[in-house]
Amino acid sequence: MSAHEHAGALPPEPEKATLEGRNKILGFWLFLGAETVLFGTLFSAYLAFRNSTLDGPKPEELFQLPMTFIMTVALLVSSLTSVFAVQAMHRHKTGPMLGWMAVTIALGAVFLGLEIYEFNEYAHEGHRFTTSAFSSAFYSLVGFHGGHVAFGILWIGLLILQILRKGLTVVTAPKVYVSAIYWHFIDVVWVFIFTVVYLMGKV
Amino acid sequence: MTENHSASHGTETQRHRAEGPQKHIIVFVLSMVLTIIAFAAVAAGNVNKTFVIFLLLGMAIVQVFAQLAFWMHMKDRGHFFPIIGIVGGAFVVLMLVALALLWTWW
Amino acid sequence: MAAHAHTVKRYPGFWGWLWDWLTTVDHKKIGILYLVAGGFFFVIGGIEALFIRLQLIRPLNDFVSEDTFNEIITMHGTTMIFLAAMPIIFALMNAVVPLQIGARDVAFPFVNALGFWTFFFGGLLLNIAWLTGEVPDAGWTAYPPLSTTAYSSHHGVDYFVLGLQISGIGSLLGGINFMATIINLRAPGMTFMRMPMFTWASFITSALIVFAFPALTVGLVAMMFDRIFAANFFDVNAGGNIVLWEHIFWLFGHPEVYILILPAFGIISEVISTFSRKRLFGYSTMVFATILIAFLGFMVWAHHMFTTGLGPVANAIFSIATMAIAVPTGIKVFNWLLTMWGGSIRFTAANLFAIGFIPTFVMGGVTGVMLASAPADFQYHDSYFVVAHFHYTIVGGLVTGLFAGIHYWWPKMFGRMLHEGLGKLTFWTYMIGFHLTFFVQHFLGLLGMPRRVATYLPNQGFDTMNLVSTIGAILMAFGILVFIINVVVTSLKPRHATNDPWEDGRTLEWAIPSPAPEYNFKQIPLIRGLDAWWKEKMEGNKEMKPAEPVGPIHMPSPSILPFIMSVGLFISGFGFMYNLVVAGIGLAITLMCMMLRSVFDDHGYHIEPEEQKKKGEVPA
Repeated sequence: MSAHEHAGALPPEPEKATLEGRNKILGFWLFLGAETVLFGTLFSAYLAFRNSTLDGPKPEELFQLPMTFIMTVALLVSSLTSVFAVQAMHRHKTGPMLGWMAVTIALGAVFLGLEIYEFNEYAHEGHRFTTSAFSSAFYSLVGFHGGHVAFGILWIGLLILQILRKGLTVVTAPKVYVSAIYWHFIDVVWVFIFTVVYLMGKV
Repeated sequence: MTENHSASHGTETQRHRAEGPQKHIIVFVLSMVLTIIAFAAVAAGNVNKTFVIFLLLGMAIVQVFAQLAFWMHMKDRGHFFPIIGIVGGAFVVLMLVALALLWTWW
Repeated sequence: MAAHAHTVKRYPGFWGWLWDWLTTVDHKKIGILYLVAGGFFFVIGGIEALFIRLQLIRPLNDFVSEDTFNEIITMHGTTMIFLAAMPIIFALMNAVVPLQIGARDVAFPFVNALGFWTFFFGGLLLNIAWLTGEVPDAGWTAYPPLSTTAYSSHHGVDYFVLGLQISGIGSLLGGINFMATIINLRAPGMTFMRMPMFTWASFITSALIVFAFPALTVGLVAMMFDRIFAANFFDVNAGGNIVLWEHIFWLFGHPEVYILILPAFGIISEVISTFSRKRLFGYSTMVFATILIAFLGFMVWAHHMFTTGLGPVANAIFSIATMAIAVPTGIKVFNWLLTMWGGSIRFTAANLFAIGFIPTFVMGGVTGVMLASAPADFQYHDSYFVVAHFHYTIVGGLVTGLFAGIHYWWPKMFGRMLHEGLGKLTFWTYMIGFHLTFFVQHFLGLLGMPRRVATYLPNQGFDTMNLVSTIGAILMAFGILVFIINVVVTSLKPRHATNDPWEDGRTLEWAIPSPAPEYNFKQIPLIRGLDAWWKEKMEGNKEMKPAEPVGPIHMPSPSILPFIMSVGLFISGFGFMYNLVVAGIGLAITLMCMMLRSVFDDHGYHIEPEEQKKKGEVPA
């Protein structure tokens, strides 16, 4: 039996108000445990191949710290705006919540745009997916992360549209919460990527 | 099915004020600072390689802990199994890093 | 928002029956689907096993060519592990765990169905390879460089990679689902330490799945990228590394074998205590031993790689860690024996399988400790000694355990008891056949017969034992046939099973009718201790005490989307091999379905109290 109706009054933490909502949040955390191993394996391959550049350009030559920094800031800010979205949700302020969600995916799109530009540059510099074991591992790891960002943008975009139609309810609230947890997670993964791939690549 | 009837019954005490943004902004500032230090340490160029690597890893871990604890609410109650999920995953990642660094090339 | 109280549409006739099964999200029906599909693939894997043994019945045989032999051993291993053993484990988990914890379904019924259909279509994709003539032939472990396009240029290994990838998604979803179910959906009063052992085993196994399968996922992705998109993970000339594949594969592969055996341990605990009329000895220790086995299971993978050249330090570490696992496992064995000691034992077919499991699995376990010694393993590696070890643990262990569970829980799933006489005949022919087949293989290995050879020269001491092994395999096949006959014969009988047909049931599933009604429990029960049902019976109660009043029961709606999503992945599998546009279309179908699922919320339907009074039926 799902939640009671109180003439439209939402409970304080609407995402946790139903059993379905609590199940979804727990299930998603368990999925993130699996994703941790998934990205961990991609990192493992990258670490194994960090020196297998063959004739291709080396990390020190390739990576541009200023652009990486901008991308990092964009994603970090977007993770903060995602926090604000959930806080607005807890205050039952649907308008600001949707606004923060929109800013989140806009910044995500900035990140993605820069990353596509970056990959394009690398391709011209002779660092392609098929160049070496290093390049295959690099594009797989960073590309999978980018793919996760892209999926997140589509997902949160879809949620914005859904909530415009259905409003914030005990059914839609868990979806927002889960998407925010997802978005934070891909920022956490990015912390390790910029540290291990880009920064350690230039050391 | 058992339900967790949260305080939507109008009886008082759900003095649940939604938390303010302060803690989260602090985490943001901390993350920015750690990030800037990390980038600066590498951009500086002349520093001892081993020291920098440990510094980078250390700061990444602190940043990740802060984001997990505050932005993802892992420090709040009701997060026992989420913690198991992430810690379990991290444990396997430890194996993966070991095998990549120690047992792949010789 | 109130749930709509519409009832679910049911269509008449054959097509209605088919639609019901294609759209079901009911864990009981999904359990039956897993059992039937897993059983189907088990027969395929069994035929492949017979072909192996027929080829090896005598030296220099030409029953099949060498290339075909490589295909058969690859498909036998892959099918048996991923498409037979794991699905039948999921069958029992689905059929039993929600009932044992007093829940009405799993946490995510839709995802449960999705898990089944992805497994099924992944398995279908893999086995369709037989029809194309391009069959995987690089072993179930698919080591590069053999599995790279340099040495396996036809699509065989692609079928392996893509089929397993799709099937693996199903397994991961199942793991997440059962963890969430057991954490969140236990009935009031059922603390973790009051859960039945099979539920504990399912919980730990699900955790293993969640942490181990993603490594396989990435390994398969890397192999797919190498083969289809010219990546260089395993191309040594481009800086790649073949040992990395072994590491990643076995980092998954070793936990996988614990995923296979822990559920069997759970089944044995249930069956032995029920048919000894005695509670399980050392329950808490059993729980902690299971957790320890799972934890250690992630730290031993390189014992599959002792001969690759990791060096003596690495080999020593993994040797010791591997031997350590014998300790909690041994504790479990003693606890089963101590459960039986002083008990009032009934030798039903189910219990015969459970008791037969114990010495058989112990034999497999001790050869495991022998293999754990790295220097000794340099002799055993790639010989039939290893083949004997893993068949003793997986077939003598897991499959025997599954037979115990299937005989034990058949009445709860189908409302009928399997015929006891036929069950006992199954047991004796299958077990004797098993030992004949695999016991001699220890000695074949020690005499130097290598693995994966399509034939062998005469007069090396291999001839008689290979003949004996093949005869054993035929006897095993006969035993399986007897089981199938048992299933058919039983299905013709009327549905007369009571709620507690063994009369000594200890756990919650025996408190409700057989088969369980659509909603499982009319009222969620109140749990007052371990072996909750036994406790109530011993106090003279005929029913569990309810934890809630009678009321309308909310059920999830059926959906065709899981089926369509799996078809989309199936299509994309072909696309990745033959035409990337088709791959895109397949993935787009799956993504569209995900979108639809997100946008159109499932409000479920209600079963009103008046309908609950009638006995719910699970249609055949």
